[in-house]
Amino acid sequence: MAKVSVLNVAVLENPSPFHSPFRFEISFECNEALADDLEWKIIYVGSAESEEFDQILDSVLVGPVPAGRHMFVFQADAPNPSLIPETDAVGVTVVLITCTYHGQEFIRVGYYVNNEYLSPELRENPPLKPDFSQLQRNILASNPRVTRFHINWDNNMDRLEAIENQDSALGCSLPLSCTPIKGLGLPGCIPGLLPENSMDCI
Amino acid sequence: MPTWGKPIFSVDIHPDGTKFATGGQGQDSGKVVIWNMSPVLQEDDEKDENVPKMLCQMDNHLACVNCVRWSNGGMYLASGGDDKLIMVWKRATYIGPSTVFGSSGKLANVEQWRCVSILRSHSGDVMDVAWSPHDAWLASCSVDNTVVIWNAVKFPEILATLRGHSGLVKGLTWDPVGKYIASQADDRSLKVWRTLDWQLETSITKPFDECGGTTHVLRLSWSPDGHYLVSAHAMNNSGPTAQIIEREGWKTNMDFVGHRKAVTVVKFNPKIFKKKQKNGSSTKPSCPYCCCAVGSKDRSLSVWLTCLKRPLVVIHELFDKSIMDISWTLNGLGILVCSMDGSVAFLDFSQDELGDPLSEEEKSRIHQSTYGKSLAIMTEAQLSTAVIENPEMLQYQRRQQQLDHKGPVARDAGPTARDTGSATSVAGVVNGESLEDIRKNLLKKQVETRTADGRRRITPLCIAQLDTGDFSTAFFNSIPLSGSLAGTMLSPHSGPPLLPLDPSTPVPFSSSKPSTEPVAGTRPGGDAASKDGVNTATAPTTPSPSVLTTPSKIEPMKAFDSRFTERSKATPGTPALASVTPTAVERLKEQSLVKELRPRDVLESSSDSDEKAPAAKPASLSKRKLELEVETVEKKKKGRPRKDSRLLPMSLSVQSPAALTAEKDTVCVSVPAPALKLPMPGPQRAFTLQVSSDPSMYIEVENEVTAGGGLKLSRLKCSREGKEWETVLPGRVLTAAGSGDVVCVACEKRMLSVFSACGRRLLPPILLPSPISTLHCTGPYVVVVKEESLHSILAGSDMTVSQILLTQHGIPVMNLSDGKAYCFSPSLSTWNLVSDKQDSLAQCADFRSSLPPQDAMLCSGPLAIVQGRASTSGRQAARLFSVPHVVQQETTLAYLESQVAAALALRSSHEYRHWLLLYARFLVSEGFEYRLREICKDLLGPVHMSTGSQWESTVVGLRKRDLLKELLPVIGQNLRFQRLFTECQEQLDLLRDK
Repeated sequence: MAKVSVLNVAVLENPSPFHSPFRFEISFECNEALADDLEWKIIYVGSAESEEFDQILDSVLVGPVPAGRHMFVFQADAPNPSLIPETDAVGVTVVLITCTYHGQEFIRVGYYVNNEYLSPELRENPPLKPDFSQLQRNILASNPRVTRFHINWDNNMDRLEAIENQDSALGCSLPLSCTPIKGLGLPGCIPGLLPENSMDCI
Repeated sequence: MPTWGKPIFSVDIHPDGTKFATGGQGQDSGKVVIWNMSPVLQEDDEKDENVPKMLCQMDNHLACVNCVRWSNGGMYLASGGDDKLIMVWKRATYIGPSTVFGSSGKLANVEQWRCVSILRSHSGDVMDVAWSPHDAWLASCSVDNTVVIWNAVKFPEILATLRGHSGLVKGLTWDPVGKYIASQADDRSLKVWRTLDWQLETSITKPFDECGGTTHVLRLSWSPDGHYLVSAHAMNNSGPTAQIIEREGWKTNMDFVGHRKAVTVVKFNPKIFKKKQKNGSSTKPSCPYCCCAVGSKDRSLSVWLTCLKRPLVVIHELFDKSIMDISWTLNGLGILVCSMDGSVAFLDFSQDELGDPLSEEEKSRIHQSTYGKSLAIMTEAQLSTAVIENPEMLQYQRRQQQLDHKGPVARDAGPTARDTGSATSVAGVVNGESLEDIRKNLLKKQVETRTADGRRRITPLCIAQLDTGDFSTAFFNSIPLSGSLAGTMLSPHSGPPLLPLDPSTPVPFSSSKPSTEPVAGTRPGGDAASKDGVNTATAPTTPSPSVLTTPSKIEPMKAFDSRFTERSKATPGTPALASVTPTAVERLKEQSLVKELRPRDVLESSSDSDEKAPAAKPASLSKRKLELEVETVEKKKKGRPRKDSRLLPMSLSVQSPAALTAEKDTVCVSVPAPALKLPMPGPQRAFTLQVSSDPSMYIEVENEVTAGGGLKLSRLKCSREGKEWETVLPGRVLTAAGSGDVVCVACEKRMLSVFSACGRRLLPPILLPSPISTLHCTGPYVVVVKEESLHSILAGSDMTVSQILLTQHGIPVMNLSDGKAYCFSPSLSTWNLVSDKQDSLAQCADFRSSLPPQDAMLCSGPLAIVQGRASTSGRQAARLFSVPHVVQQETTLAYLESQVAAALALRSSHEYRHWLLLYARFLVSEGFEYRLREICKDLLGPVHMSTGSQWESTVVGLRKRDLLKELLPVIGQNLRFQRLFTECQEQLDLLRDK
């Protein structure tokens, strides 16, 4: 069973200007001291079209982790606007928080993010070239989408066995009616079928 | 009740009847759900949105959960699944998150259940798990063809792996008196195993010869009176049956016939019934009988009484798919049945239909008459059925119950209330700082470093410790604390409304309520009733008339763990070996008395030791008379429970300091002790120390405080859990020590002062014969180690004292650098060897065969701590050495004897009992009659006690005759000792009748 479970992720300073850093306050519980650090990542999905535009905003090691409840604030700089396709700058996209242990992702928390111009004029007539300084980022904090994956928490057990343990019966039933926004791993997605950090569910 | 549409493989009702667990297939994992029982029992609660239906769900199993079982005490839930794992769950004590993060609000977890152990051993799906009647063992069976017996007191220790099945093992059941465990497998056999040696008792194959095909489970069951074992899937004349196997000779003459497809599950009602006495008709007592529910692949359920030839009721097509598991309520009137189709049905019966349930007392009387009173487990069963006799206790129970019933309502007061509640409770943990404050500053405060490769690394802030900790400790300590358990002590009947418990008013016995919906199991479609055959099950749960006479289990582990049964008032200082030590008789009186024993002159041996004396102490060479003195100051408190015999008590703060009243006994024993220049503390200006046994306690000393007029005083300050006290002393303080009960300080000029936990001076300053070296406190005892003492232990060698400890009973224990440990015996005035890491006896002794399964793991205490791992080596000895049997027998004997003696010397009653029982088992199995007889004689004592008798009726706080009672079943195992057995038994009976 999972040694670490995420209790809560609080989105701090939301909404905020596009260029201000992301801040998440993450509380998690660990039921057995971990031998190694957890690795947390914030991934900004630049475009729904392709994962090429995904930006890993930051990755951070968290440790040591004894048994107990812990919290920390994960702060990462805003995405680099130059890597975002102009057509996708305004509108709804996704930010992901993932956590891995020994390189295996066991939880993925996804939030819808809405980037909008604050002023009504700009909203009415958005400039052809997006003006990131005028954009406001609003994370839909009340509706996180959480996907948990079973991973091998012990060193001694074979990695193979861990994969074998995963129930493959449900693996193919990935919904076709998946929202056009990708990356929100839906319950039922099997990590074994997805490359690491894959953003595509369909 | 809601279903998740996926198969439910298992259902089990909590012993307190307030909740039940289901196990089965979840979304992408196995799933365990804990449900509230009251919405099932009561329509009002079902409709009431404020009454939670689902209490907790656990998705932690990687694959389908095949079995969920509550421990008999209700503290734990065990689940086994296709992921080859068994998980043991315990309710988390602090308020956890109200929802699973990321799930919608509906899936709120009202209760938090935490996995405390994961048991890994099986190489295939775990099909069934079962707790032994006394909760000390957990058995699991698997498609890997084995049954594993786990030590439930010390997970994940495995006591035995039962091999012998040649097919998938799919069901388990314990004999209600704990003598056997039975398993049924796909290999067309049912095997019965002895718990004494975990060997096969019998294998039954004939009724299963015709069995073809497979069922998912084969849940067999043992009748509560122990007479019958009923199998799942058997065949008789090509018809599926449930085979009845008689305990007597394992005969297979009867079966339950009628199901059209294989029987998957059999479950006996936990109650034994007797026919209702009809008013006016004959009062001839009818034979007690049992009730059994049988579920089958044919989707029907039948309920049988062992006194009837035909089933009491058959309910056809209760489900759309096979029945997978059945669970009775503890009062025996309700039954939950789960199915592969993903639904669970509840049926209830009236007492008119089933009969009058016997009280637990009557039940244990049946066990007694059938299996004899000598069975170890029986005594436990008897204890567990103690009747609550006084009204205060009853009222207390009732209050507890009320609280229990308020519980769910309060918990459901709304998510916001719950959230704030959890926030504040967590905040309390973090040094009084509120969670809000922490959160505000978290980003600034959190420690961030760079790893060698330049990556950011954040050290998370720990906001709460987990309450997992030591499994066994939690297991024992938390039982009496649990509110829910306490609340159920009286009411096994779990009637949701308060049962009338007032002893003055007769309990109304109403079976007159109209029979509402007989089958309350809400199916997915909601078509609850209207199935054929349903009409036979009737009536709402009636409050049992036997509420007052059938209290259910009180602290189920009580009898099992001798630490609870231990007679708390050991007379300290009373030498257990009094006859050997006429010189050192110490009798404690109620008033204070200080008695000094002349240190024995042990100088003779030191002539050659001087030459060998290490260079480290040249200064003291001429001074041959070194002395270490041990003072035992004890304040006896009446009725103070000795909770545990560990060295460091975990919670001595239970006692209010006010309890330290006048009556205290002080014993001072001078001890001849090590010939070693001990380190001496010098005067310091000020110092602070933290008490190791109680980290919240600090002692601060400030010397030479000017008090004006040229006067100098020393100030002693002690703070504990926010409470502080101060006092002043005339001389400079050299060293100090404290425990939850006392604080003592050593001053210049060899003065020792002792204060109570609140700072009251308990004794006038004691003038010690020589300067002090070390102080140490445990509970109410103080050990003072002083320079100048002599003893053969340390003389002439270069050993050093590595540690000095004080047990809870005030026995000083000294560890030396060479791995030996000695304890001081006040009665003998000597240091006695209790542990030796190089002890060859310990390494050769093999007493595995004598290890009593349920005791093996309970051996913890000062002796175990002192000896560390060494004490377990005996179990492996046979594998490590090939020693001739006679030699091994002798070494084992000698080793066990020294263990018994050491436990006695340490006054560790629990360990004494453990080793004595082990020793007795060994004597019995190897046939040492004289030694055995001598033990029995001492334990029994004179039957006709004369006033001049020297016999002590207790040893280290245990009643000798109680010990003998425990020994009897052991003795009875070897027919050679039949006579001894009968003698002791008769004399004990005689004594009891007197």
